Amino acid sequence: MNDISPLLSIRHLKKYFLAERNVFKVNSYVKAVDDVTFDIMPGETVGLVGESGCGKSTLARTVIRIYEPDEGDILYQGTNISHLSTREMIPYRKKIQMIFQDPYSSLNPRYTVGETIAEPMEIHNMYDRETRMEKVSSLLEQVGLKPDHISRYPYEFSGGQRQRIGIARTLALDPEFIICDEPISALDVSIQAQIINLLEKIQDEKKISYLFIAHDLAMVRHISHKIGVMYLGHLVEFGDAETVYNDPLHPYTKALMSSAPVPDPKTARKERRIEFRGEIPSPIHTPAGCPFSTRCPECRPECRIAPPVMAKQSGRRVACYKYV
Amino acid sequence: MSLLEIRNLWIEFRTPHGTIQAVRNINYSVENGEILGIVGESGSGKSVSMLAVLGLLASNSVIRSGEILFNGKNISPLSPEFKNRPDLYEKTMKDIRGNRISMVFQDPMSFLNPLLKIGTQITEGIICHTHCTKAAAKKQAIDLMKSVGIPAAEDRFDQYPFEFSGGMRQRIIIAIALSCNPELIIADEPTTALDVTVQAQIMDLLKKIADERNTAIIMITHNLGVVAKLCDRINIMYAGDIVETGTTDQIFYEPRHWYTRGLLESIGMNIGSGRVKLPSIPGTPPDLLNLNKGCAFMPRCSHAMNICRDYKPAVSQFNATQAARCWDYCKDRADEIVAQQDKEETLQ
Repeated sequence: MNDISPLLSIRHLKKYFLAERNVFKVNSYVKAVDDVTFDIMPGETVGLVGESGCGKSTLARTVIRIYEPDEGDILYQGTNISHLSTREMIPYRKKIQMIFQDPYSSLNPRYTVGETIAEPMEIHNMYDRETRMEKVSSLLEQVGLKPDHISRYPYEFSGGQRQRIGIARTLALDPEFIICDEPISALDVSIQAQIINLLEKIQDEKKISYLFIAHDLAMVRHISHKIGVMYLGHLVEFGDAETVYNDPLHPYTKALMSSAPVPDPKTARKERRIEFRGEIPSPIHTPAGCPFSTRCPECRPECRIAPPVMAKQSGRRVACYKYV
Repeated sequence: MSLLEIRNLWIEFRTPHGTIQAVRNINYSVENGEILGIVGESGSGKSVSMLAVLGLLASNSVIRSGEILFNGKNISPLSPEFKNRPDLYEKTMKDIRGNRISMVFQDPMSFLNPLLKIGTQITEGIICHTHCTKAAAKKQAIDLMKSVGIPAAEDRFDQYPFEFSGGMRQRIIIAIALSCNPELIIADEPTTALDVTVQAQIMDLLKKIADERNTAIIMITHNLGVVAKLCDRINIMYAGDIVETGTTDQIFYEPRHWYTRGLLESIGMNIGSGRVKLPSIPGTPPDLLNLNKGCAFMPRCSHAMNICRDYKPAVSQFNATQAARCWDYCKDRADEIVAQQDKEETLQ
């Protein structure tokens, strides 16, 4: 596509969880991530959207090998990291960091802010004690906290400030790639914009790539260069943020975009929502054909037979028989 | 006469660290068939003011002053009728709760009793308030389940909550709230725990209820998208106070208070993509234990003046429906307001 090689490539990644085993010893699986392929370029933000249970978080956790992938490859700067041993993973753990959703449970209440932020550097034997403390102070400043916060405990901070501490901790190792798993959904509206601005500032300064998971479509649109839409473990549409937002092609993307409430009363009154039938099928008994076929308003006979493969269509990739 | 009218309501919580002023002197009313949105951040007092209406406040709370008029009758525990009669208050509230005012809570997973069948949970309120037979209650419950969009209602009547998805559970909770044909439904973040697609379905359902049954709905939320779509009027709350009130169009297109303006800008109403810095409100929501004397939003306000620190602004009424509490609009009355507040302070 272009000259720069991707920072991270995900190829046909699958992650299944064993759900149950019946009396005939036949296993059934939750197909949490099913055949997902996409690239993340250096300095780029890829947003992942979809309903709960669609596999966004599982995908993120499989990428950093919290979960072992069942099939497919994860290439980090060309190296396949999907089957490296724990020891071999160590250098990559430094480069890939994660920001979690809940700023209340992701910080150790018995560690001071300084200890929390210094811990990753201690684990990786970086710098001596004094340099580490200097680094902690400068990190605190970078994320908009004061250096004298260093000896305080998490309970003394508000949600937004805790999320800043979490961000400082991920930055301690100078990562190249940060996975943000719903970093703003636990925060108040007026604080969300502050955190988004901080993440963008860090990206502009350090050229870090983000995989940004969220369900607030407006925020994902703002921060992302590219967007992936997931449904039942499948990636159904992937492309430039503006292209996907302004002209969604997959029937699921269209329905998702039309469901998002627009904070503008006049548009909200005019707008017609695309209704879908029914609810998300169980991830254990997924439809044989296209995952969306049971609810799709434009379903055709061929949709029920085999899942569509992703095809290039007007500047993005989309998995739908309409565009094959 | 308004369906519900709240006058000068002031609620405090006594904690080991001091007194939290959760709701400070708020006034508003709701009419029949109207959807009123109450928007605010966590800790702004939006839920607390509603729990006070139903008499469900925690035991460490104190209602310091105020009247809660429901159909003209004062149902505040401070009213002369109930002041020395907590038993009578409790009895009156039992008749109102779930019957004339009902509530839809945020989390559909924890509201329902996992050990009781859905049918039992819906009919419970009907039997309790109307004293009808079990069979009649069942018939009514199945009709309700159909009206909130639950397919195969007869079969689902005997199922347990775990057999329902999140959206379906929220529909059940709405069915329970509707079961006694209430005049007012208080919905406390009813869609926050749901996905956008399900949220849209629940919003359509609430709108339908307000239109068809003429039920008033108070919608507590922090999602401005939800209020834009659903509400007729909006109250914006900050640190226990209503800082602005108006129709949905007035709040979105002619916001007056600086907090309302900041809120609307920060959700990115006008932003697309690309590296534009999102306008945000600096700082964090105030500590309700140590509120400053003047306007609570002053420390975060980009247009704060000296007077904002020490004196609370008065309410400025712009037209029949819109009002805001900001010094920008009551500067010309400053001497009068300052004198009034100085007088109150010396009295205390």
